Amino acid sequence: MVPVARRNLLAEKGRLAISVAGVAFSVVLILVVLSLYRGWGGLGGIIEEIPADLWVVQQGTTDPFHSVSVLREDLAEELAGVEGVRGVSKAFSRTMSVEVDGKETPLRLMSLERPPDVLPGQAVFFPPPGRINIDAVFAEMQGLKEGDTVRLNERDLEVGDTFTGGNTVLAQFAFVDVEDARAIFGVPGTVHYLLVSVNDPKATESVRERIDASFPEADTLTGAEFLEAVRREIKEGFLPVVGMLVIIGFVIGVAVIGLTTYTATIEKSRDFGVMKAVGASGRFLYRIVIVQSVLVGLAGFAAGLGGTILVNQLVEEAVPEFVTELRWLDALGVFAAALVMAGLASFLPAARVDRIDPALVFRA
Amino acid sequence: MEERNDGVVLRVEGLGKTFGHGSTAVRAVDGVDMEAREGEIVLIMGPSGSGKTTLLTMIGGLLRPDAGRVFIDGVELTALPHRELPAVRRERVGFVFQTFNLLEALTAAENVELPLNMAGVSGREARTRAVALLEERDMGHRLSFRPNQLSGGEKQRVSIARALANQPRLILADEPTANLDSKHGHDTLLHLRAVAKEQGRTVIIVSHDHRIREIADRVLWLEDGRFKDVSLLATDPVCGMQVEVDSARATIERDGRTYYFCSRGCSWEFQKDHASFAGASD
Repeated sequence: MVPVARRNLLAEKGRLAISVAGVAFSVVLILVVLSLYRGWGGLGGIIEEIPADLWVVQQGTTDPFHSVSVLREDLAEELAGVEGVRGVSKAFSRTMSVEVDGKETPLRLMSLERPPDVLPGQAVFFPPPGRINIDAVFAEMQGLKEGDTVRLNERDLEVGDTFTGGNTVLAQFAFVDVEDARAIFGVPGTVHYLLVSVNDPKATESVRERIDASFPEADTLTGAEFLEAVRREIKEGFLPVVGMLVIIGFVIGVAVIGLTTYTATIEKSRDFGVMKAVGASGRFLYRIVIVQSVLVGLAGFAAGLGGTILVNQLVEEAVPEFVTELRWLDALGVFAAALVMAGLASFLPAARVDRIDPALVFRA
Repeated sequence: MEERNDGVVLRVEGLGKTFGHGSTAVRAVDGVDMEAREGEIVLIMGPSGSGKTTLLTMIGGLLRPDAGRVFIDGVELTALPHRELPAVRRERVGFVFQTFNLLEALTAAENVELPLNMAGVSGREARTRAVALLEERDMGHRLSFRPNQLSGGEKQRVSIARALANQPRLILADEPTANLDSKHGHDTLLHLRAVAKEQGRTVIIVSHDHRIREIADRVLWLEDGRFKDVSLLATDPVCGMQVEVDSARATIERDGRTYYFCSRGCSWEFQKDHASFAGASD
């Protein structure tokens, strides 16, 4: 088949380049926003790794970021007496301002009482006194490395290990020793959370019910529930923005492809008239219009996908706390969206082709 | 509707078309009847605005008449629904235009290949047929040239090859020599003649160009939307215009011949120097 659509597009290379760039822009917009959404959805994963079967929090506490939990410290002994409980660790957590090179920056400081049996890989949660283990994103943002010093509430702490999964965009996790935490937070007789481990993980739910029944001033959550609460906050705050930007991107894409194909059709009105005159069926002509649209859509998608990978890389380098995750399923979805854009964008030019009078070919 | 044709490729009966309404209505074609047989070249002439192109567009199925019928190869075009007309144009009619109307984005070969694609012929077969049609017209060395790289005569050869791509029995040519110099115009006429005489196709040509009379089997004169008897027309020997014998502005008898003029001015010029005009009205 004679590639009329391709030739029509290539006849005006400047316009084609602008059109492809326009579609690529909308694809980048959609994919980068989705990448950020996916990346943010995986934030705070460190919470799940903290050794606890149940988190006991002050009644009404929604999540570790947006509400404060304050519990009596002696509640730990009472919880230890609940049937099925193997051990209880005290935990402190609060967003603090940390001074690095004379500059204040927020940090989600956490401290866990060291249980008798620390598994390999959990050591990062229990630094020795005078040290602070920090999230890798925080370390990168602040240019910190092992042995550097940060100042917290008039107290100098030496940077120890770094870990991943502690980034929540607005702040990053850091772990200090319990005694350091007590000194920094300065509220004696209270803890923020109590981490309960159970004898039989299968019986976690029944232990939870017993705690809920015995201690009305407290709520119990699993690590996964606690994390989900964090992520829900992020997602619910972010989702409307994502939705809006995706819609804007889609509309831009449709408009760009539509405009390109429409102007190409108007410019080639005489050619379409000639083809009509020499016997082209409506289907033959619509196919040319649709192929033109689809080609612009596909080229725009390919350029946009490459652009997204580049932009994501640049974003992560420039703003380390902005975690992006490009999922191929999302890319596939945007690919389908590009085809839908192309399809929608074909309607107007096709209608225009329909109106072209083939008799115009006899006009000189 | 299809009927027996007995060598008649084109039959037109009482064809009429009016543009506009009421006091502004213009009767562009008014009850035209004609027939053309296979291998015949019919030249339709007439002054500007006489309805030639309107007639041609109706014969080609590009414009619906208000009245009358058109049969091509026995098929009544005017009875077909709109959606079936492209197929008739594709398979039974070939168009040759004054401005060539080649697609600028395509090569010469692709321009000829395109109607074949429309008819469902694609790939190597379409390319082979397109190349053969162009080679027959000495265009084998210009296959991959785009229209803007071709001369007017070459463009018209490509246009003729395109018109013949689906082997139609009827070729409609609108002023095929108007944009060509005399050499290329003559070349185009020879090609059209070959199409009719060697391939047995019917060629209808609409033109102002008197040179086409050389190859035409019949000349029809269209004026005010109606055919007039060409025998009652004469050529003004000074300006070359066709003049109705009955209503010529001036006549001069000389050496046993009668000369007819469109205006007194032409007759005066003739009288001043009749020797240089005397043979012009033959």
